[in-house]
Amino acid sequence: MNPRIISANLVVKLTSFHRERTTMFFTIAFPIILILVFGTIFMSQDNVSYHLCVQDLDQTISSAQSIKTLEHDGEFKITRVDPAANATQYVRDNKVNLVLVIPKGYENSLMQRTDFDNPDASVTITYIYDPSSSSVVTKMQILDAVLAGINQEMSRMPPFIRSAQRSILTRKYRFIEFFIPGIIAMSVMTLSLFSTVDSDTELRQKGIIRKLSTTPITRTDWILSGILYQFILAVISTIVMLLVSYAVFNVSLHIDAWLPAFILLDVIAFVGIGMILTRFVKEAQSAAAAANSISFPMMFLSGSFFPIELMPGFLQKFAKMLPLYYVNEGLRASMVFVDNLAALKDAAVIGVFAAVVFILGIMATKWEEGQ
Amino acid sequence: MTNEAEHVIEVEHLTKRYGGLLAVNGISFTVRKGEVFAFLGPNGAGKTTTVEIIETIRTPTSGNVRLLGMDVTRMKRDIVPRIGVLPQGFSSFDRITVRETLQYYSRLFCRGKTDIDGLIGLVNLKDKTREQYKNLSGGLKQRLGIAIALVNDPEVVFLDEPTTGLDPGARREVWDVLLGLKEKGKTVFLTTHYMEEAELLADAVAIISRGKIIAMGSPRELIESNAKYLLLTLQSIGDKVFEIVRNLGFEPVHDNHKNIKVRVAQTDDVLKILNAIKDAGASFLNLDVRKPNLEEVFLQLTGEALREDPKQMASK
Ligand SMILES: Nc1ncnc2c1ncn2[C@@H]1O[C@H](COP(=O)(O)OP(=O)(O)OP(=O)(O)O)[C@@H](O)[C@H]1O
Ligand SMILES: [Mg+2]
Repeated sequence: MNPRIISANLVVKLTSFHRERTTMFFTIAFPIILILVFGTIFMSQDNVSYHLCVQDLDQTISSAQSIKTLEHDGEFKITRVDPAANATQYVRDNKVNLVLVIPKGYENSLMQRTDFDNPDASVTITYIYDPSSSSVVTKMQILDAVLAGINQEMSRMPPFIRSAQRSILTRKYRFIEFFIPGIIAMSVMTLSLFSTVDSDTELRQKGIIRKLSTTPITRTDWILSGILYQFILAVISTIVMLLVSYAVFNVSLHIDAWLPAFILLDVIAFVGIGMILTRFVKEAQSAAAAANSISFPMMFLSGSFFPIELMPGFLQKFAKMLPLYYVNEGLRASMVFVDNLAALKDAAVIGVFAAVVFILGIMATKWEEGQ
Repeated sequence: MTNEAEHVIEVEHLTKRYGGLLAVNGISFTVRKGEVFAFLGPNGAGKTTTVEIIETIRTPTSGNVRLLGMDVTRMKRDIVPRIGVLPQGFSSFDRITVRETLQYYSRLFCRGKTDIDGLIGLVNLKDKTREQYKNLSGGLKQRLGIAIALVNDPEVVFLDEPTTGLDPGARREVWDVLLGLKEKGKTVFLTTHYMEEAELLADAVAIISRGKIIAMGSPRELIESNAKYLLLTLQSIGDKVFEIVRNLGFEPVHDNHKNIKVRVAQTDDVLKILNAIKDAGASFLNLDVRKPNLEEVFLQLTGEALREDPKQMASK
């Protein structure tokens, strides 16, 4: 290992990268586009379930009070629907999934019950909803719970069973915060895999590797400088991703030494796989195809975009055999759940994998050609 | 026994087999210090195989190869810093400039100070130092490749087909660079398809064909020892002269300019032919008698063209 040679290589690689404007743009921009697109989708989904349309046909102080309670206890953002409107039509026209209708005579019945203790006095609150909406069921459950609370309170008896919530997470996290570590893991993987495959096959085809084998540079120097280069790119790309996530989605992620550690392991693992691929696939085009066939299943099945719990059982088992799964999990453990022990376990798995692949990659890399 | 001061390269019974193909078949030769040695042969003759075995980047199947007194299969680490290589079809990093490329390679050799400007001057790239590799023409790329091969001030320089694919002007410019190397007293191992190149530059030539060396010596020696005939060229109209020459028992051939070429053993034969033409009342426009050049010697030795070139094919 010779630091001077490694730094000479780094200079050449970084200069080339810097001068290849389009490559540079897409390397940085691709993950950003993913984050922006998916982030926006998840944001609006989050909003849907917290939105509630209410049509108050009673228009009294009591009904207004109840709406306040809904707003507060159910944490709903309330939209008022004109009492003159046809609620069913409103649901259709405005593509909302539910309108809650407070009937006329609400205050009247309420007074009958509270002031005169008339047990026959009651009101029916109607949910007019669109069953094709996936989140409407959850919304109705929340509403039921809020209404049950109101009923219970009116009985003037203290509740018998109370519930307490204790989350296993230190805090609530949003889906975008789950998503960002996955995108970091995935883009570092694709970056490392594809640039290793691309540059190795190109340099080999152009005979630059052959020329290098007549200089004192060793295979180890060459591979180490490749890893260092990929690591630098990965760190730059991650920083840009995080900046965008903070600026646009105001995420709150925990950043510590685990982040660069997982990026490095990610880089080593996939540079290693890239080196093995280029050993067995000679043509640049088929090498890219091979890289695709590795990265695609990894991207979609290892939980980069969505939790693997959403997949059928056998796919979940498969996901747990994918190296990227452990990078995803490890990054989430450190950035979202701040769970060092879990991060350590994931780091151990991906670390062993990276070491094995890397050694195989070094063995596979043929320095001298035409033996 | 040879010693290092005398022989920089010693190759003994070198054989290289690729599967069933015997690419190099038991060749032996030596290269003296300070000489330009040309390894001449057609496509697929085994030139690159041989030169890359000497450069330590391919392994021989059998035989002994010593470079600067060291066994090439065992002392790669010691050999590499002392040699310079221009591989066949040389190429470099597209986006890196001439100067940066030279700096890069000189840093690989970890030498304190390389005279980059001197090298740039030597290969005449002064105006192109800030040009990226991908923007250089073929001839400039080859000259950069030669400069790269010199960054470590090597004792032996290997140039594998430095002028293939260049136009005549660019080729001449590369030759100027090579003549400069020769003046500096570098030992140069040159492989080429081009006879003129070997004739112009080389002190010693080895002709290789199908993995075997079929002739070796200085260009002059090769011609003297192999060309024991004269080449008569006649320019005439019609087939009459051709018939006359053939009827005399010679074997005339047409070249692609419709000239008649005849190999004759001595000057008397020339007179015999001329007299026969005169007696038959035929005539010719032009006549040329000369000793063959290296190219024609090669043709005679191998029965095959050096290049896939219609000129040679026609005179075969
Ligand atoms: N790595 C290899 N594997 C298999 N066969 C090879 C290999 N390298 C060369 N050959 C074969 O060995 C023979 C000699 O090849 P070589 O490249 O040494 O010829 P050359 O004289 O340099 O030809 P050219 O003038 O085309 O460069 C050819 O038939 C070639 O196809
Ligand atoms: Mg060759």
